[in-house]
Amino acid sequence: MIAPLFLTGAEFWADQTVNGLTTGSIYALIALGYTMVYGVLQLINFAHGEVFMIGAFAGYGVLVGMGGDDLTGVMVALAIVLALLAAAVASAATSVTIERIAYRPLRNAPRLAPLISAIGVSVFLSHLVDDGFLGGQSKFYPLIFPNGGISLGPLSVSYLQMFLMGSSLLMMAALYWVVQRTGAGRAIRAVAESRTNASLMGIDVNRAIVITFVLGAIMAGFAGVLYGLFLSSIRGSMGFIPGVKAFTAAVLGGIGSIPGAVVGGYGLGLAETLGREVLNEIPGVNLPNEWKDVVAFSVLVLILIFRPTGIFKQKETKRA
Amino acid sequence: MRKTWLKWFVPLAGLTVLSLGVASCGDDDSTATKTATGTATTAAATAGFTDAGYKTAKFQTVTVDSGATIKIGISSGISGDVKGLGVPIADSAKAAGEGVTVKGHKIEFVTEDDLCTPEGGPAAADRLIKAKVVAVVGPICSGGTRASLKAYDDAGIVHISPSATAGDLTTPVRAEGPYVTFFRVPVLNADEAREQANFAYDTLKAKKAFVVFDTDDYGKDLSAQFQVSFKAKGGAIVGSPTGYEKKQTDFKSIIANIKAAKPDVIYQAGFYAEATPFLQQLRAEGDLKSIPYIGGDGIKNDELISGAKDAAEGAYLALPGATGSEFANYAKKYAAFTKGKESDAETATFGPEAYDAATILIKAIESVGVDAGGKLTIDQKALQQAVLKSTTAGATGEVKFGPNGNRAGAVVRLFKIVSGKYVQLKAGEK
Repeated sequence: MIAPLFLTGAEFWADQTVNGLTTGSIYALIALGYTMVYGVLQLINFAHGEVFMIGAFAGYGVLVGMGGDDLTGVMVALAIVLALLAAAVASAATSVTIERIAYRPLRNAPRLAPLISAIGVSVFLSHLVDDGFLGGQSKFYPLIFPNGGISLGPLSVSYLQMFLMGSSLLMMAALYWVVQRTGAGRAIRAVAESRTNASLMGIDVNRAIVITFVLGAIMAGFAGVLYGLFLSSIRGSMGFIPGVKAFTAAVLGGIGSIPGAVVGGYGLGLAETLGREVLNEIPGVNLPNEWKDVVAFSVLVLILIFRPTGIFKQKETKRA
Repeated sequence: MRKTWLKWFVPLAGLTVLSLGVASCGDDDSTATKTATGTATTAAATAGFTDAGYKTAKFQTVTVDSGATIKIGISSGISGDVKGLGVPIADSAKAAGEGVTVKGHKIEFVTEDDLCTPEGGPAAADRLIKAKVVAVVGPICSGGTRASLKAYDDAGIVHISPSATAGDLTTPVRAEGPYVTFFRVPVLNADEAREQANFAYDTLKAKKAFVVFDTDDYGKDLSAQFQVSFKAKGGAIVGSPTGYEKKQTDFKSIIANIKAAKPDVIYQAGFYAEATPFLQQLRAEGDLKSIPYIGGDGIKNDELISGAKDAAEGAYLALPGATGSEFANYAKKYAAFTKGKESDAETATFGPEAYDAATILIKAIESVGVDAGGKLTIDQKALQQAVLKSTTAGATGEVKFGPNGNRAGAVVRLFKIVSGKYVQLKAGEK
């Protein structure tokens, strides 16, 4: 079959770019949690995808509890704000509990031990929700977000997509401000540089680590609700794929780097939606949809060949 | 400078060549699958059980001790995503045997979870064979069935699937012909797809269709059959038929492709768990708000309406099979068996087929079982022959089997979702 050349309209590319950016926003929000925890603990927090899932369910609970599909007008806005708050709280609580139970006792164990512990927590949580509470079924977010959007030439963006992209940018900016401009942020950066030195300077290392987990979890919980509002279908295992993708985004951006996670998230989102379509423009190439991840991850491998430490190169750490 | 460039050029060039090679392999594969399915369908009408097929089946004689129960296995997806489909199927089969006694022996059902997967099918078969069942209702999905055909054949166990619809299960490209121990009650994907294509072309007047499908056996087969039938009518498939995997929730990028292809109708072959978010995201798109949508039988489920709500309105779903004289009886027994806890008989997709499958097996066991002082002896070969030659007035109409274990003569019904309910369409109605 020949690549369908009539697909190459400007509108199509605009649509796919917007899709890539929305998916990218979610990846970026989750990737921030990975990258920050890695920054302070050199731990890949595999359970972070499940923290995202818990946020999605907390938001779902609030939306359904407040009336679900029957919500109208200003109540919709209120419900969404409350859902986001509930998700942030639930995700933060989950993340802090995980840190306390599964990571802190292993803080001085060999590096692989907390990694396995993280995988264990991840599997436990996703199966607990899927098989324990939901019996393998999906739940569906009420479709309450106002329909419609704006069109500018070939570009059309729905209000929901605008809300998703705008609010995630806002959250990322807020996070950046917290890390760069507040005392707690300074403590986090100090611990990331050297845990021993930070504690010698009188910084409460455990507190800084907990705050890191909380900040990452708030981003993930927020992403969970946005994901639910946008794609509607949620389940216990929903965190796995976005989790892996976000982790990839964090590595792509340069793990440990906050701007890197954001750039990596958007980059991966775009590579995923646009990569295959671009290749399909080559005459004679017609990659089926299932190939989109093959293309996206080939791009990733190529980038890492040239920049093994990711796009935002971290300075060599002074740690031995 | 130049050296660095060279250093990278070689692996890069290698990668490019490699990826091109892989890409063309992918293309070859997909065409191969399509042609294979195509040929399989045309051969479907003529192929039948062969002598070679009878030789591979290891039929034995089964003895049921006096006072013991006659065990009938059920291989169904009773957990996970397909639960909404699999549990009513299993319960419908059980409803057919509830309280039934054959020559002094009670019928006992042994249920195993086949998860509707190629891995789960053989696992369930293994457990059922070890449990010494006489016959089996199932497996419920095409992938699981394909993977367990041989296991049942090796044990000489007749199994009737209520819902496996892929064409090549009964027309494999093998010398010895189809497995003689396998029968099925449902109407095949090819029949369903032909009706859907006729409906799209003749009734909806659609000339261009966009096809999306679950990449499992069922979705691939049904969507390929639809394309064959729709093109045969004179219609065109626009864009590339697009596959997605189970549990996918983000269909936005597929939908952008649909938007650009400007079809008259959207066709989906898959299951309700993915069709629900697909429809929601599709209907959120202004341009695609009212474009006709036709879905296959795996999508026709109450969960679709409760999940997708307004987005499901106006969707067309096909359901193979008809309502037979035994349906009222089935509905009564099913309601009594489930105590009204599950969906009712009207909405239990493939429930009537499962009920008929169990009924056929029980009747066949009754006709070939030989009673010797309380002991019941069943010759598996005789049981297979009894099933093959049976005619049953069932819940899905008259059930007879063709020479290859497929159902002979079958009907497809079309439904439209109107105000949150499935409404059956009359011929020519849309």
